Amino acid sequence: MIGEISHFLSLSAVVIFSLILIFNFFFFFGKIHPNQLSLSIRLFNQACWLVFISFAMYVYLAINDDFSIAYIASHSNSQLPIFYKISSIWSAHEGSMFLWIVFLTAWSIFFINSLDDSHSLKKTTLLMVSLIILGFLLFLLLTSNPFERLLPFGAIEGADINPVLQDPALAIHPPMLYLGYVGFVISFSYITAYLFHGNFELEWEKDIKNWSLVAWIFLTIGITLGSWWAYYELGWGGYWFWDPVENVALMPWLAATAFMHSLYASSKSSVLKTWTMFLGILIFALSLFGAFIVRSGIIDSVHSFANDPQRGLYLLIFSGLITLLALGVFAYRIPSLNASKFVVSGSKESFLSMNNILMVTSIFSIFLGVTYPLIIEAINGEKVSIGPPYYNTIFTPLILITAIFIMASVDSLWQRSKPLKSYVYKTFFPVILSILFTYFVWHITETFSILSYIGIFSGLLILFTYLLRVLNNFFYKKFINKGSAIAHIGLGLLFLAVSLNSILSYEKNLYLAPGESIFVNESIKEFSFDDIKVLKASNHDVISVEVSLLQDGKNIILNPQKRKYATRGQITTESSIYASILKDTYLTIGDQLENGSWTFALKINYFIKWIWFSASLMVMGMLITIFKKKAT
Amino acid sequence: MNKSLRFLIVLVPIIIFTFFANVLLIEEDEKFSKFNTKNFPSFELNDLNGIPVKYEYLDGIKLVNVWASWCITCLVEHPFLTKLSDANIQIVGLNYKDSNNKASAWLQKHGNPYIFSIYDPRGDLAFDLGVTGAPESYLVIDNQVVAHIQGEMTSKKWETIFYPLIKKASNET
Repeated sequence: MIGEISHFLSLSAVVIFSLILIFNFFFFFGKIHPNQLSLSIRLFNQACWLVFISFAMYVYLAINDDFSIAYIASHSNSQLPIFYKISSIWSAHEGSMFLWIVFLTAWSIFFINSLDDSHSLKKTTLLMVSLIILGFLLFLLLTSNPFERLLPFGAIEGADINPVLQDPALAIHPPMLYLGYVGFVISFSYITAYLFHGNFELEWEKDIKNWSLVAWIFLTIGITLGSWWAYYELGWGGYWFWDPVENVALMPWLAATAFMHSLYASSKSSVLKTWTMFLGILIFALSLFGAFIVRSGIIDSVHSFANDPQRGLYLLIFSGLITLLALGVFAYRIPSLNASKFVVSGSKESFLSMNNILMVTSIFSIFLGVTYPLIIEAINGEKVSIGPPYYNTIFTPLILITAIFIMASVDSLWQRSKPLKSYVYKTFFPVILSILFTYFVWHITETFSILSYIGIFSGLLILFTYLLRVLNNFFYKKFINKGSAIAHIGLGLLFLAVSLNSILSYEKNLYLAPGESIFVNESIKEFSFDDIKVLKASNHDVISVEVSLLQDGKNIILNPQKRKYATRGQITTESSIYASILKDTYLTIGDQLENGSWTFALKINYFIKWIWFSASLMVMGMLITIFKKKAT
Repeated sequence: MNKSLRFLIVLVPIIIFTFFANVLLIEEDEKFSKFNTKNFPSFELNDLNGIPVKYEYLDGIKLVNVWASWCITCLVEHPFLTKLSDANIQIVGLNYKDSNNKASAWLQKHGNPYIFSIYDPRGDLAFDLGVTGAPESYLVIDNQVVAHIQGEMTSKKWETIFYPLIKKASNET
């Protein structure tokens, strides 16, 4: 019964969103009625609430194990803790789409109600978001209905959530990511509305600035959590795999990062307005593209949901139309945007536009990497895969150029160039220090990989540039933009950590029987397989292994496990990690060999925690920027 | 700004979308023809009555359906399988990670569309076959796996993927 009510509420929301659009469409040609806007707003708010209540009821159904609902029956189980019963909702396609829509609605309702009724863009923005929400609600109800019942009999017990998804990081990773993705519906709708109106006197940047910053924070946290989860739960042993689905999350992130830099420029001076608008549209278009890639199953990926061309086609057509609508009106309005075309080279604007170009180049490279296998397959039917080598080769030079421009751009001035002498003075120390440190790294590691050393050098360049500024601020009270400094130090650290990780980390496969012990290398003098046990837990059997290591003179005990889940029969590996500041010792067990010994995969990952730490620095920098804005 | 650039802003997305629509529509038709046929793996297992199943039992045209009493979707596709078996399609069950009692009780309660069910409580054969869960269906012609679907068997999947292959095979012999 509650299931039907919940279903009905979503359907009602569809009806009301359609009403808003139809109603405004007819008034569009006629005279504007004074109550038109207030009626639209009221209808809009009610429709949004219907979506929220419908979702809340769905959560209630999941908590109370209503296994007559097909989706809940195949993704939840009565034995699960409540926390996972709720998170099972977004463990597969239908429910996660529902969550996506709820977030879309939430961002929209907050944003629309934050605008004054007298705001000239309120109505058009409202119509734009209504159209987008309506499109996705229809997609949900027509092609992937989570409310479907199992008829004539419901299931007695649910099939259980996929065990690898039973993890706190995963329970919050999709919501964070979705909050980020859909948050950019605001900039998208607002910019489109602005372009429709053609009232170019309006100062539009301030209305969407903080919304976009917050969405960026969610997106960053979402991506970072996903990477962390893959590392410690999935037993993949790495943090980033250039998997198509990771790539489609990275593209909106890069676009969003460029957008925010560009927004900063266009709110200070009138240049780069066209760029900023284009990027604002691009972010959400890329989010839509990502949703299409993930949910159509067009590309094989670890994240793909079930293959369904019908879904793919709907999403493709819908997101295509929305994107074309926005880009079309953008292209039409470009001549009348009359942004000042003249950018002084060496001014802050010139560096920011360079930043835009670099970011768009990165997006394009990733886009090419994602689509290239499809293009090749369409041409000659061969399956190719594009992996890390492609991305590493493409990105390393881009990173170096980015680092050089970041270094040059600090202290640059709006609309004015600085004398060449000041650049030499400013860049002298960072460059010298970076060269020395890179040489130092090479000296102690004695490995050589040109790409990694370029990465290290670039990371150091950014780090030293900003660290010197921090020192300047500390001793000479020179002005420093704290948020920006922290975020960029995070970026430098990220480049550094990723590069060091790639040259220092290594992997060893070991074969041992219980009771045996071996010498691995100078750092790990002893690796002994102490014990193996089979344990029973509530919903799975565990093979638990105890291994002790003598690493760098310290004794470490590791407990990797293999779990076999009863309901799904799935086997998962639980890696065991010993973490120190510089490196992680990461151990997983493989299969038993015929002679009774077991295979172990031992990975020594250097600087891996630094990667997530640097992502948190970026988030922190952004938070400081937001709160500083609020304060002034 | 340049007129052709403005034109490109609209044209490029159109090209991209058309390309993806093409890939999407082509993939649907060609998906099963790209399936790599392989030998049905050898096994030493009994049926649900404890009688050893011989490899030769899989000669001819057989639909191998992976099922279990704990599997909900199996119950959903059950009426369709019954219809197939009424139409003289030989369906071999692969009882997957189940207990003998529960499986037999399930067949008694809902009806048995299978000519026999291979009892694979540990999932050994299923592992060799590449089963990821239940239900899944394999078309086996003369011990060769020629088609495979995951999830519920529907009349659409039957008619587009399995039936043409069966027709082709029976015409050849």
